[in-house]
Amino acid sequence: MFTHRHKKNKINIKSDKTSLIDIQDGQTGIIVSILGGKTLTKRLADLGLKSGTDIKVIGRAMFSGPVQIEVCGSRLALGKRLASKIIVKLK
Amino acid sequence: MTDEKKISIVLAGQGNTGKSTIFNYLTGLHQHIGNWAGKTIEKCEGTLFYNEYTIDVLDLPGIYSLTTSSDEEIISREYIIHEKPHCVLNIIDSTNLERNLIFTIQLLELESPVIMVLNMIDLAKKKGIMIDVQKFQSIIHAPVIATIASRGFGLTKIIDRTIELKETKKDYKTLKYGKEIENCIDQLSITLQSVNLPYPPRWIAIKLLEKDKEIVKIVKEKNPEIAEKAIHLCAFLEEIHGHDSSIVIADERSHLASQIAREIVKIIPERKPSLNDRLDAVTTDKFLGFFIMVGILGAMFFTVFWFGNWFSSRLDIIFQSFHNWWNTNVGKTILSALGWSAIESILALVQIALPYILPFYIILYILEDWGYMARISFLMDHLMHKMGIHGKGCVSFIIGFGCNVPGCLSCRIMESKRERLITAVLVTIIPCSAVSVIIFGLVGKYVGVWWAVGLYLFAITLVFIVGKISSKLFLGEPVELIMPMPGYKTPHLKTIILQTWEALKEFVYIAAPIVILSGVVIQAINLMGWMPAISSFLSPVTVNWLGLPAITGILLIFGILRKELILVMLAAYLGTSNFSEVLTPQQMITLAVVSMFYVPCVATISVLWKEYGWKKALLICFIETLGAIVLAGIIKRLLDLVF
Repeated sequence: MFTHRHKKNKINIKSDKTSLIDIQDGQTGIIVSILGGKTLTKRLADLGLKSGTDIKVIGRAMFSGPVQIEVCGSRLALGKRLASKIIVKLK
Repeated sequence: MTDEKKISIVLAGQGNTGKSTIFNYLTGLHQHIGNWAGKTIEKCEGTLFYNEYTIDVLDLPGIYSLTTSSDEEIISREYIIHEKPHCVLNIIDSTNLERNLIFTIQLLELESPVIMVLNMIDLAKKKGIMIDVQKFQSIIHAPVIATIASRGFGLTKIIDRTIELKETKKDYKTLKYGKEIENCIDQLSITLQSVNLPYPPRWIAIKLLEKDKEIVKIVKEKNPEIAEKAIHLCAFLEEIHGHDSSIVIADERSHLASQIAREIVKIIPERKPSLNDRLDAVTTDKFLGFFIMVGILGAMFFTVFWFGNWFSSRLDIIFQSFHNWWNTNVGKTILSALGWSAIESILALVQIALPYILPFYIILYILEDWGYMARISFLMDHLMHKMGIHGKGCVSFIIGFGCNVPGCLSCRIMESKRERLITAVLVTIIPCSAVSVIIFGLVGKYVGVWWAVGLYLFAITLVFIVGKISSKLFLGEPVELIMPMPGYKTPHLKTIILQTWEALKEFVYIAAPIVILSGVVIQAINLMGWMPAISSFLSPVTVNWLGLPAITGILLIFGILRKELILVMLAAYLGTSNFSEVLTPQQMITLAVVSMFYVPCVATISVLWKEYGWKKALLICFIETLGAIVLAGIIKRLLDLVF
């Protein structure tokens, strides 16, 4: 429970830009940048994930597993490490 | 048959769009599933006879783009370009229009005749997504048909439009990108007009800007000036946008898709979450999701084993009477004994395939078609990452508990070679239904159920440890999970039956030849009277190291055929099926441990051989056999302290 609260504070202190894994369930945001190589960025763009895309975090699996997000009206599961490379501006 | 009455169509689209349902509907049992030349990727072909037309249907692999980043994508792209099918059916999940459109745009760029199939239109309506079909048609300049594949709605219309499309000449309308990109494309495609290449100029131009390796290479060979020019234009785009030109194009395409989606889609907001949404929330919940998963999988295994045991014992009685018939009518000569061992191998396959694999597959495909397998991958991703693979590998593990053969085959869903191999190695350690027969028939019955359960847990722990080691051993970046979460939908019976049938067929085709052959060879060795020599040859290992009776050496050789033979033959050789009279508890446990982990059965070896080459297959067998013997010996010594 404490770790949870800690994360929430971190978001507030830092700025409104944060990595996708630090966003709480149910929150929405816009992708600002993707910290990845060419292949990854292209692979994500083919699925509609690019800077400027609106996303909503639906939930995640136990032990801070993959994140489930909603993008362009459909759902995607993204691995934890991948999600940490997607920088999002909160709405 | 005249050529005018022959039509070829291909189905293209992402996974989970109902592509295979449409394929199955169109071709029914007139289908043939093989592999693409030199690849372990399924090639599904079929034929449809309709109003004097013979229509060849090909189902391309489910892909998200037409770049060259995976074998599936290259195959699909090359097929459409070079084979020039009369029509490409782009199957789209109407509930995910925008994401699917990115692929559609790439398909339209290939300038082949396309028909858009808006599948699952009923689910979209339910979700409040209204799609303007007319407007869509006029934007992309191609026929659009709304369908509900699971109920067959709209599917004959697809064929009618395909025939129509074949008769009429088609003109292509290009979908335009942003100004400066279009400018670059124009500059390139004008110069490309003069170069003779089997691709449309505009498409080559786009691919040059995307720095597609294959196309850049081809153009460089034909006309280095154009390739040089493309590099300049890429640099120009990169300067404006600040990142790689391939990403600029991918972004632009995704932008175009959302623009089109915005024009043709109207969303009526839902008042309350649908039943499926709530089901999704519960099944992917942090805690509840796990309990539900354990419950569903537990129920699945219980059903399969319960049904399997019952059915298998029925078959046993039938086969036994057949054996008696064989002995009295064919006689007991060496030749008849060899003949019987061939027949017995086939019967053994039937006895695994029908009672265990068949129900297992049916339940598995129901879960898959329903949409639950993606949830399992989601929930298990974290744990699987500890073994260097991602969540999808869990599906292969689950199949492996039924039978290692389809388990290893299913590793094809993993994206990279490294992950396919790690997953396959781990699957071979998972106790399949045949090994479960030994665990429960020997240890569970005579030592105690909890010992049997303990062995199971031990196997799972071992999978984890080996995974941990192999993830370090096989170098390479682990691939991260990127997986669409399909909405739940009612499973489609016909698709499930056809998928089960195909999977079962593949199992028999792969396993049968090698199982029969090795059955005969081992029987021949037996008839030559070499078995005692072999068992005494193996006795340093079996007797001295493992503390087992010498005859287990022979059993373990027969066990390579199928592992439950170890138990069956143990009873035959010892002349009793009450094993507690002849084996001590620690001997039973040791024997079970060796049986669980030593060399995979021949059918599994043949899959490893086929998918990963004989060197890797033999290496896996060698390491696992050695590992199992060492491990069982250590366990034996530990057990001596307990009992």
